[in-house]
Amino acid sequence: PQCSANHCFSPELGWQLTAGPMPKHVAFIMDGNRRFARKKKLERHDGHMQGFNKLAETLRWCKHLNIPEVTVYAFSIENFKRSKEEVDGLLDLARQKFERLLEEQENLEKHGVCIRVLGDLNMLPLDLQQVIAKAVVMTKNHNKCFLNVCFAYTSRYEITNAVREMAWGVEQGLIKASDVSEALLSECLYSSNSPNPDLLIRTSGEVRLSDFLLWQKARELHREEQALQQLEADCACIAEHLQHQGNGKPADAQRRQEALQHYTVAREERVQDFLQALKHKRDTFFTNLC
Amino acid sequence: MALLYGLIWRLLLALVRIKRATVSWLRVRLRTWKGRFWQRTMAALLLPVPASEFKQKAGANQSSDGDGDGDGKGAGSRRSRWLSDGISLEKLPVHIGLVVAEEELSYTDIANMVVWCMAVGVSYVSVYDHHGIFQKNNSWLQEEIVRQQHNLLGGDDSTFNMELLKNGTDKPQHFVVSCRPIVKVLSPEDGKHSIVQAARKLCHSVEKKEWSSKDISVSMLDVLLRESKNIPDPELVVKFGPVNSTLGFLPWHIRLTEFVSLPSHKNVSYEDLFGSLQHYSACHQRLGQ
Repeated sequence: PQCSANHCFSPELGWQLTAGPMPKHVAFIMDGNRRFARKKKLERHDGHMQGFNKLAETLRWCKHLNIPEVTVYAFSIENFKRSKEEVDGLLDLARQKFERLLEEQENLEKHGVCIRVLGDLNMLPLDLQQVIAKAVVMTKNHNKCFLNVCFAYTSRYEITNAVREMAWGVEQGLIKASDVSEALLSECLYSSNSPNPDLLIRTSGEVRLSDFLLWQKARELHREEQALQQLEADCACIAEHLQHQGNGKPADAQRRQEALQHYTVAREERVQDFLQALKHKRDTFFTNLC
Repeated sequence: MALLYGLIWRLLLALVRIKRATVSWLRVRLRTWKGRFWQRTMAALLLPVPASEFKQKAGANQSSDGDGDGDGKGAGSRRSRWLSDGISLEKLPVHIGLVVAEEELSYTDIANMVVWCMAVGVSYVSVYDHHGIFQKNNSWLQEEIVRQQHNLLGGDDSTFNMELLKNGTDKPQHFVVSCRPIVKVLSPEDGKHSIVQAARKLCHSVEKKEWSSKDISVSMLDVLLRESKNIPDPELVVKFGPVNSTLGFLPWHIRLTEFVSLPSHKNVSYEDLFGSLQHYSACHQRLGQ
């Protein structure tokens, strides 16, 4: 994580970089702290501490370069497999840093920094969940730049959680199973408020994703493809419904068109109501913890 | 039943890995023994290749990789060389994904790579482009692969009798009964679309009160995804082209995949591909630990 690049970020370099196309959302996999510690003959904990310091510096660079959104992979669910000592050390470090963030409330407000924490937070100790919730609630209305911290996160858990949320919507009678689509799944991810990352940087030289943002990094359907897929799905639903109504007799074109319009409007309303309910559920989770 | 097939598939994979680990261990122990005799003995004991086919004639002129001379001797020595290259690696991926991020596609070059992959001992090769063109022209690609297999490996293709899986649902039996290498052509439909279909199925089950939303877990979604298309997670993806993106290739399956980028798939050489395999062989995955 440490490099001799402390001096390599200069305003001139920043000006040159920002002359060209810039990513709007950069994601970082922070890897290599322990290897760095071994190389420098430090304790592991010091490696993680220095890794965090370098991250803080990187975030300042991103701010200088007007990159509005950054996502960092701070702690994977897989990392719970490490020794208790190391896991406790990492959770302590997180606790310290989030508590420090709470002291910087004025600064965060001044710069409009919104902090989001993405992951299965139920896996964390309650006191850490509480301090995270405070930081999230304190900054939730800020909108100049966004820092997403993936903590107790893996992409497979995130995708599964999105499916679970849609199933919850079905259970509550808010949506139907036939409303499930690629677009709806994306809206149910932890990262639903963020655009997909333009650039993914992994430190330490490894060339794998390690279960990070797998859905978000995959190709997104173009709007026309999405619209066509949704139209086909809606047509299939109303065809079944009309056939059932007409006792097997085919409906005429006008009736099909009216039914399709009516169905589409109803589906869109259902989906909006469900997404509102989901947002409320998530906001309540954080406010209850504070 | 799907769970049983999944378990048997995992057991077979574990046996392949144990075999490879044993080969590596023996290689280290027998390093002091000189000569090809021990290599041939190991190969005869531990590999599924008939010992009579493992010929390494001293001083034999080994023809270069791209030659399609189809000559029996050249093909035999090429096959032996590629096989021993595969043995020389500490580890070999079970599934390699060949992801083409270029607009113009060369079926011959992809076919060559498929044949090389299987010749070194990879048992599952997938081919992908983000427009789904390879999948649309699946039969054309299959013909090219068979042609290159004859050109590069000679007429006797009993050793590499591969399965070229068509589009649509894979029958689980292919993975339980068959020990032949498998080639699968994939498209974006096998990615997010498959995840959405599995999600819809789970939601239908919840709608019918067969499951509760709280029952939905990572392993449940994983099993459902593999029920219709049992694609093993690729350990290595070789990506061709200037675009630094996975382009929608199997997002669920690539969580631990190593990615190697090559500038182009056109006129790619065996050495380029083998370099990627060497990179994979040397990498160390900590799996979060």
